[in-house]
Amino acid sequence: MDYLINLIIFSLIYVLLAGGFNISFGLGRLLNLSHVAGYAIGAYTTALLSTDYQFGFFSCLILSGIFSMLFSLIIGAISLRLSDDYFAIGSLSFSFVISALLINWKSLTRGVLGIPGIPRPDIFTFSISDNLNFLIVLSIAVFLSLFFLNSVFKGPLGRSLKAQGEYSHALEALGVSSFKIRMYSFIISSFFAGISGCFFALYLSYIDPSSFSLSEMVFVLTIVIIGQPGSLLGSSLASFFLVFLPESLRFIELDPGILGPMRQLIYAVILFSTVYTRKASLFPIKRTV
Amino acid sequence: MLSVKNIHFAIGEAAILNGLEMSGKDGERIGIIGPNGSGKTTFFNCVSGFITPQKGEINFNGHSVIGTSPSKRASLGIGRVFQNFGIFRDMTVKENILIALESRDQNNLLSFKVSKEHLDEIDSLLNLVGLNKHLNSKAGSLSGGQLRLLEIIRLVAFRAKVYLLDEPTAGVSPKMKGQIVETLKNLIPKEALVLIIEHDISFMKDLCERIVVFDGGKCVLDGSFEEVRSDTRLQEIYFGTTN
Ligand SMILES: Nc1ncnc2c1ncn2[C@@H]1O[C@H](COP(=O)(O)OP(=O)(O)OP(=O)(O)O)[C@@H](O)[C@H]1O
Ligand SMILES: [Mg+2]
Repeated sequence: MDYLINLIIFSLIYVLLAGGFNISFGLGRLLNLSHVAGYAIGAYTTALLSTDYQFGFFSCLILSGIFSMLFSLIIGAISLRLSDDYFAIGSLSFSFVISALLINWKSLTRGVLGIPGIPRPDIFTFSISDNLNFLIVLSIAVFLSLFFLNSVFKGPLGRSLKAQGEYSHALEALGVSSFKIRMYSFIISSFFAGISGCFFALYLSYIDPSSFSLSEMVFVLTIVIIGQPGSLLGSSLASFFLVFLPESLRFIELDPGILGPMRQLIYAVILFSTVYTRKASLFPIKRTV
Repeated sequence: MLSVKNIHFAIGEAAILNGLEMSGKDGERIGIIGPNGSGKTTFFNCVSGFITPQKGEINFNGHSVIGTSPSKRASLGIGRVFQNFGIFRDMTVKENILIALESRDQNNLLSFKVSKEHLDEIDSLLNLVGLNKHLNSKAGSLSGGQLRLLEIIRLVAFRAKVYLLDEPTAGVSPKMKGQIVETLKNLIPKEALVLIIEHDISFMKDLCERIVVFDGGKCVLDGSFEEVRSDTRLQEIYFGTTN
């Protein structure tokens, strides 16, 4: 039972993380490779505030989202003006900056040692130290987030974002600034990266920089691509699918040493075959004047 | 009122616009013709703001728009139909027009509900051009002619004051060309300024009172439809000879 709850919690954290990424990448086709850096910022914000300053649950949650948004505001202002490929490279370099800070700013982050003993603050009188209770709170947060994200997807912002991804000049010719639309999507998407980082830190009670590596970014990318970019239901189901799938390996007698690489291999095969078989339909053709 | 003065635009060594001058008044219908590569689309791109000329002035209603963004210019009323179709093919016909309406009315980006007025407006516009049964179809499934019609009514919905139409009949079946002419005549408000780039001069006959001819990045002829069509220089521009 505990094992199942554990997997569901991880899946839900990815539903949040990938749901946010689905706004900028799935709808807007912005290959924002700093999304996991926003996740890291959320996780470290919560870790530091709850261990060193005994911040409560809601302050940790909101501040994780806000710090991640502030970070994306800086990256966005600098790199969202770049054209697509350069934007991806620009965002990637920012994520390396964050990685380097996590590892080297030892007085704040304790470097590779990570931050242990992150407490799970009570929510008013409700204790979330029990995993089932934690799952309940996380589920509520995911439900509310999906509701909000869905309204973004279906609303004017979602429409403009999608249009911008297909033909940004045509969108501007209708009086909508592509830069503004990208920036909004970027900020909203990083808010969700931040709060998923908060849940991640509270759940594990220990974080270190290795959880926020480039391969984590590729994992989130895989979730959104498999679920079909722009589909919130898709990325949510894909989160569960990809978290549960490698668990089936446990039932085959395998040396624990190959288990890790085996997971990566499975993900790689799935990602490649999805992209290969759906290369024509993943994204519409991009046009320009 | 749009006026463009002494526009120069070059990419590297290649001069594409060479001191282009032209102006148009509210309510005018101006046809623009010229050989391939004479700078017609580039001229539209300068007016829409997608490219910035190295030299020259572009004034709209008495204010210079040089340096303002394409979206700002569009909000001022400078609308555009693209040579390569400005329709979002991955979206439905309804969504394509909705974007224009929500931008026009400056709707809150995070609002959730689509307003009833907007839906009614979309319905009546689609009815006028016979696209109503395609309301929820992917725009990508429409024919060339239907895409052009959709792009034109999207600009009408946006309430553009200037219509920059870049070859609105390219890729359209001969049968539908007539419908496009009718749509342009009937749906664009009388007081709007309309500039139409078109290769087929006969298409302009009952649409444009004034024809401008581009060649080598300049405006070389400017006059009434009859004047321009009977001008011997027209042949020279198109075929390089006067026989
Ligand atoms: N981005 C660009 N890079 C290089 N050359 C360009 C670019 N844009 C336009 N040109 C060149 O500028 C010239 C004018 O192009 P433009 O598209 O304005 O012509 P046009 O009159 O619209 O032609 P057509 O009738 O074929 O549409 C052409 O020779 C074209 O090759
Ligand atoms: Mg052209």
